[in-house]
Amino acid sequence: MTATPADGDDQPRRLPLVVVLLLPIALVNALGFVVPTLNLLRMSFFEAQGTGAMQEVFTLATWQKVFTDSFYAELILNSISTSLLITVLTLLCSYPIALYLHRSSGLWRSVLLVLVIAPLLTSAVVRTYGWIVILFENGLINNALAAVGIGRVRMIFNKTGVTIGLTEILMPYMILALMAGFGKLDARIEEAAASLGASPMRVFRHIVLPLTLPGIALGSLLCFVLAVSSFITPKLLGGGRVFLLATEIYDQAIVTLNWPVASALSILILLIFGTALLLYTRALNAAT
Amino acid sequence: MSNQESGAGGKSGDAFLSLRGLTKRYGDFLAVDHMNLEVPKGELVAFLGPSGCGKTTSLRMIAGLTPQSEGRIIVGGDDLTGVPTYKRDMGLVFQSYALFPHMSVERNIGFGLEMRGIARDEFANRVRDAVALVHLTGMEKRRPAQLSGGQQQRVALARALVIRPAILLLDEPLSNLDAKLRDEMRNEIRDIQKRLGITAVFVTHDQSEALTMCDKVVVMNHGRLEQVGAPTELYEQPRTAFVAGFVGRMSRIRAVARNGSTAFAGQRLPVPAGLDGPIDIMIRPHRIAIGPVVSEETRHQVTGTILRTVFVGDILQYDVDVAGQIVSVELSTRGNESLLKPGAPVSLSWGPRDVYVFGAAP
Repeated sequence: MTATPADGDDQPRRLPLVVVLLLPIALVNALGFVVPTLNLLRMSFFEAQGTGAMQEVFTLATWQKVFTDSFYAELILNSISTSLLITVLTLLCSYPIALYLHRSSGLWRSVLLVLVIAPLLTSAVVRTYGWIVILFENGLINNALAAVGIGRVRMIFNKTGVTIGLTEILMPYMILALMAGFGKLDARIEEAAASLGASPMRVFRHIVLPLTLPGIALGSLLCFVLAVSSFITPKLLGGGRVFLLATEIYDQAIVTLNWPVASALSILILLIFGTALLLYTRALNAAT
Repeated sequence: MSNQESGAGGKSGDAFLSLRGLTKRYGDFLAVDHMNLEVPKGELVAFLGPSGCGKTTSLRMIAGLTPQSEGRIIVGGDDLTGVPTYKRDMGLVFQSYALFPHMSVERNIGFGLEMRGIARDEFANRVRDAVALVHLTGMEKRRPAQLSGGQQQRVALARALVIRPAILLLDEPLSNLDAKLRDEMRNEIRDIQKRLGITAVFVTHDQSEALTMCDKVVVMNHGRLEQVGAPTELYEQPRTAFVAGFVGRMSRIRAVARNGSTAFAGQRLPVPAGLDGPIDIMIRPHRIAIGPVVSEETRHQVTGTILRTVFVGDILQYDVDVAGQIVSVELSTRGNESLLKPGAPVSLSWGPRDVYVFGAAP
């Protein structure tokens, strides 16, 4: 920990090297992301036929349908609101854990970190089935509720199930992102605030919370994006009753074989991500 | 531990800060071992010692950041045991400054006042005065990251002082600054502390900081108080070999005491009563005279050969081999000396009062 004076421009300005280093990822990105995305955009203007075939004829019909059919408007709103709810819940569940991890040290910290990351070693499908076992009508929780006389509650094949499942599945990502953003939080700073008369609550409000804002923003962005784009968990835990953008894209592309609609919805998701990214950058700029 | 002083309290005289049997244990390890100290109001006291001696732990216990295992901390007659940091009214300055990176200079300094709910007018006045006190007028709107190390430390100082704390606690506040700035800040901190008449504890491992700035120096080693005294007292009358070696520089000669005296390089030296066996004879390098044999009977005298010459600018240091042991001698340079070459035979002499004798550390 040495002084970090104001002169921030000691970065080397060697552009050629930067170009060389960025070239491989730029190529991968162009071939794996930009070109397919443009292709999706192109397909969304093609004509879909009842047989599932796709006519390479320019038409605005798909976009017209997406923008006028109230089903799609509801789909978009539902997707965004569910994902926001999941993001907030994930944040609330993960923040104390991340803070505790940030403050712990030594072997204990390593053990806890492994525990946090361990769920990522299992596929989301397996974990989702795990949640079905826990949440379904004769599952762990419902049996327990019935045993104490509260009665069984429907927690699966609806939005509740999807929310619970995705929150748990996204927690490792949130915790890691939060911890990555906690760099500015130093025990000495909190101690200094306490010495100046700030109670633990006020230390949290005036010092800890503002200094962890970058982590909160990063984790929220990440989890929101992952929540919007996840479709296995909503499909399994939603039991076909929860309609989200990602599951609809899957259905349109694989089941209904309406690729223009699937393409248009994919582009829409991309726009939602772009908006989220924009808000993230705004929030970050406002914080610093 | 006895409970004699229960109910008394007035016994401590004019002490403002009292540490009574202050102890910190980490398992079996005694970080601070029954520390007793009385600090009068307005004094600047240094906790001096090598790293790991317990000085920072003591400071953290006074601040309430580390709970003590045993003992009491009394400030202005109030026992602070169990009082959380935020109710202790201590100004803290850290080595790492610990400024709030998301707040301007002004808001950093005003934070303590904000927490105390000080009214707007007084708030503005006190922040302005504090900014002026540390010569940062005009930089109120800057963020800590836009300041130099010295400026950041000034903000930290102003932030701690603006709340008019009962005690100012400084934890190695100058260690992150470069040499020139350190001297500057040293004087500045001392001036401000004197002007405000604030009681302060200054933790440092740098003996020159402790000696030049502080009214009283507490030398610590292995969690224990080695000696407490004014800087001159510690320098001239060190009570232990550790203090002698840590405060100022010392040439150390190993010898063996027998029946109240010792022999070293043909010279008999008297030894304080009670010392028998291996001893350390310590002499300040600059109190040793080097040169031709002197006839003064009153001075101790030994002969040796120059081993090496070290030129340090204002000081010329000779390491002299005396009967197989190295004795360092320091001379102030005047610009006209002829350097003695290695191998040259020399005579060393010193006054009996310049010799400190301690039992050798096991």
